[in-house]
Amino acid sequence: MTVTLWDTTGSDVLKALAAERRAGAMVASGLALTLVVTVDEKDVSAAEQAATIAAQAHPCRLIIVIRRQLDTADRLDAEVQVGGRLGPVEAVVMRMYGRLTLHSESVVLPLLAPDCPVLTWWHGPPPDEIATDPLGVLADRRVTDSALAPDPTAALRMRAEDFAPGDTDLAWTRTTPWRSLLASSFDGLGMTPGSARIAAEQGNASAALLAGWVARRLGIETVVEDSAGPGITEVEIDLRESEDGGNTGEAHSIRLSRPDGRLATFSRTGQPERQLPLLRRALGDLLAEELRRLDADEVYAESLEQATGVKGLSSRSSRRTHVWRDPALRAAAAT
Amino acid sequence: MDARNPLRDPRDRRLPRVPDPCALVVFGVTGDLARKKLIPAIYDLGNRGLLPPGFVLLGFARRDWGDGDFEQVAREAAEAHSRTEFREDVWRRVADCIKFLPGSFDDDNAFDALDRTLDELEDSHGIGGNAAFYLSIPPVAFPVVLKQLARTGMADSSQRGGWRRVVVEKPFGHDLSSSKELNSLVDSVFGPTDVFRIDHYLGKETVQNLLALRFANTLFEPVWNSNYVDSVQITMAEDGGIEGRAAFYDSTGAARDVLQNHLLQLLALTAMEEPVSFDSEALRIEKHKILKAISLPEDIEASTVRGQYEQGWLAGARVHGYLDEKGIAADSTTESYAAVRLGVETRRWAGVPFYLRTGKRLPRRVTEIAVIFKRAPHLPFAKTDTTELGNNQLVVRVQPDEGVTLRFGSKAPGSAMEIREVSMDFLYGAAFTESSPEAYERLLLDVLLGDKTLFPDHEEVEASWTVIDPLEEFWQSRKPERYRAGEWGPRAADKMLARDGRTWRRP
Repeated sequence: MTVTLWDTTGSDVLKALAAERRAGAMVASGLALTLVVTVDEKDVSAAEQAATIAAQAHPCRLIIVIRRQLDTADRLDAEVQVGGRLGPVEAVVMRMYGRLTLHSESVVLPLLAPDCPVLTWWHGPPPDEIATDPLGVLADRRVTDSALAPDPTAALRMRAEDFAPGDTDLAWTRTTPWRSLLASSFDGLGMTPGSARIAAEQGNASAALLAGWVARRLGIETVVEDSAGPGITEVEIDLRESEDGGNTGEAHSIRLSRPDGRLATFSRTGQPERQLPLLRRALGDLLAEELRRLDADEVYAESLEQATGVKGLSSRSSRRTHVWRDPALRAAAAT
Repeated sequence: MDARNPLRDPRDRRLPRVPDPCALVVFGVTGDLARKKLIPAIYDLGNRGLLPPGFVLLGFARRDWGDGDFEQVAREAAEAHSRTEFREDVWRRVADCIKFLPGSFDDDNAFDALDRTLDELEDSHGIGGNAAFYLSIPPVAFPVVLKQLARTGMADSSQRGGWRRVVVEKPFGHDLSSSKELNSLVDSVFGPTDVFRIDHYLGKETVQNLLALRFANTLFEPVWNSNYVDSVQITMAEDGGIEGRAAFYDSTGAARDVLQNHLLQLLALTAMEEPVSFDSEALRIEKHKILKAISLPEDIEASTVRGQYEQGWLAGARVHGYLDEKGIAADSTTESYAAVRLGVETRRWAGVPFYLRTGKRLPRRVTEIAVIFKRAPHLPFAKTDTTELGNNQLVVRVQPDEGVTLRFGSKAPGSAMEIREVSMDFLYGAAFTESSPEAYERLLLDVLLGDKTLFPDHEEVEASWTVIDPLEEFWQSRKPERYRAGEWGPRAADKMLARDGRTWRRP
């Protein structure tokens, strides 16, 4: 069931959504959250696809905002879908033109599901300062993707400087399978880590965060080396016998390597090698992991702190106040 | 989980709980349960990254198979029945650690070989001396296998430098004395803390959600007592017959097969007080208290009904009657339907009847717990306005369509004041459709993690038999009532509730 509205208003979108909900008998459905996606026209289908996969795990109200050119007449086009091609969601896809792009919250606010958490995801470069985007200010959780930035390392640093509890980055989400395997290899290990080495594609934001996590949790020096990729290719941690566990003086290490982005080899001194699946996950799976938790991720904050050297992230306020910045004025000042 | 692992942090909820390296030994691995549930569950766990780096699945059965034959069977099972998508990468990893040992349960050599294999796996696969033994075998074979495990010392965790656990499936005996015998045997071989009794209903999301609903909210607990609750109905209906289980079923019957374990466990979770914490010991204490507080009706004849299905039509097909099923004697008096009225003698529940029913060849497969509230003491409306208003109900749907329904009165639209019942539905699938793990997946993971929260212990099992034994004794010499396949049970069951001024809810 799809309703398309050309050159419409926010109230008509709201009415169309209510009508579609009634027709689809979804009035009492168990909505648990609203997902707001901001995306450029060229990436819309990738974002829709990811949101569809994520929505299968977490039915939500999905609001996709596509901000088109600023220097044109104000205009809103919308498409309302309930349980249609985007899966078990109530979806509103909106294209905004002109000055309306700077005031997208005026359309989005009334569309949020009542009293449910809001998660805003930028599929594309997010603003340097999230407070300048009203769609970030109204969200409880904000998800960025530093890997999409031209310079992921700089993007990560920007995220640290602008950080507020409730922010996460998909570069962090990508480390979960690695972290899970590393954590289980430390279960009942009884040895002291000495130093760690991570190999990844040059400028990989996930590798920086993983290194931040390892360094922070284990309190050891962790270096990131360049490799041919894809993504993270290897983690190696040197170990020493614990002080109370006798001293054999043997060099010991744990190594997890994944040269092909699919299958990992786990090796540990004195044990046979083992193959483990360690797949690079699709965007939708990453997003689904983000939707699973709607509170602040403190471990991410600590790892980001460690990776960038920016301090005091966890003690910042989780509330943001909108900062008005008019790109038209800035453009005029520049010329 | 090792608290000293510096990479783990309770705040880091992205990291899943992964068990220690270990082996899972399945006896009777060629059976239905292993193929349809256990092997697919292991594949699903592997697919979700929840198996430890060192893991081995060791099949044991009387077949002339090698590792490869077993792998082929396991692969077919996983492909046909796994919940998550079948991926070659994942399967290759699971297949790498599948082993098979042929042997019969009375063959000492085979068990010595199993013992040796586990020792070898410690070096070759790094399982670290940890092993869980899953007894997917008929109860008559339990003693033989347990004695073999005791003889070889495989069950003794103190000798092996790791943990050793055993998983048993229901039935846990067929009456109090046989269950005591079985419990003392298995507890003496493994030690009570290492025995996991699987009641797969307890692995269902909704059952755990019942605890969340009751104890995480302020809304329900204040009315969860005899001041507000009129009665509780717990139903487990199956549309299937006794497919291929005739010999077992005919000697067991609905009460022993379902009432004794699933329904009494659901009753205990519904009626229990709030546990002081959410660990397995605290939960067990509260469930045990309720099971011991269950009272039988004074007049068993009037407050229980047994039934046997006759031929009839179900879902558009003609089905046989119970007595015509293959392998059932023509004069069998085993029940395929049982309904009982129980009481719970606590301050909270005094006077509230708990109606439990289960049956085969009922119109549809459904399991639910319905808490039926008292009617409002005074209605300020005209009598004719509320003729269609019933009792408020809170229904926990265990399966299918896992979720919660709340039924209450609402004004029908129009100029007249007319009050009608409406339902407010929470569908687990709609708010969190992340297809919830299969019960076996969850329970197997808990066994490997050593978390006993969802497993009944021997005291609970024995308390349940104390409830069932007097009923069985009373029923022994009597013939069950008849009901047509495809009906909601015998008429006598409706009459039984009618005598109390109530009716069964149509699930």
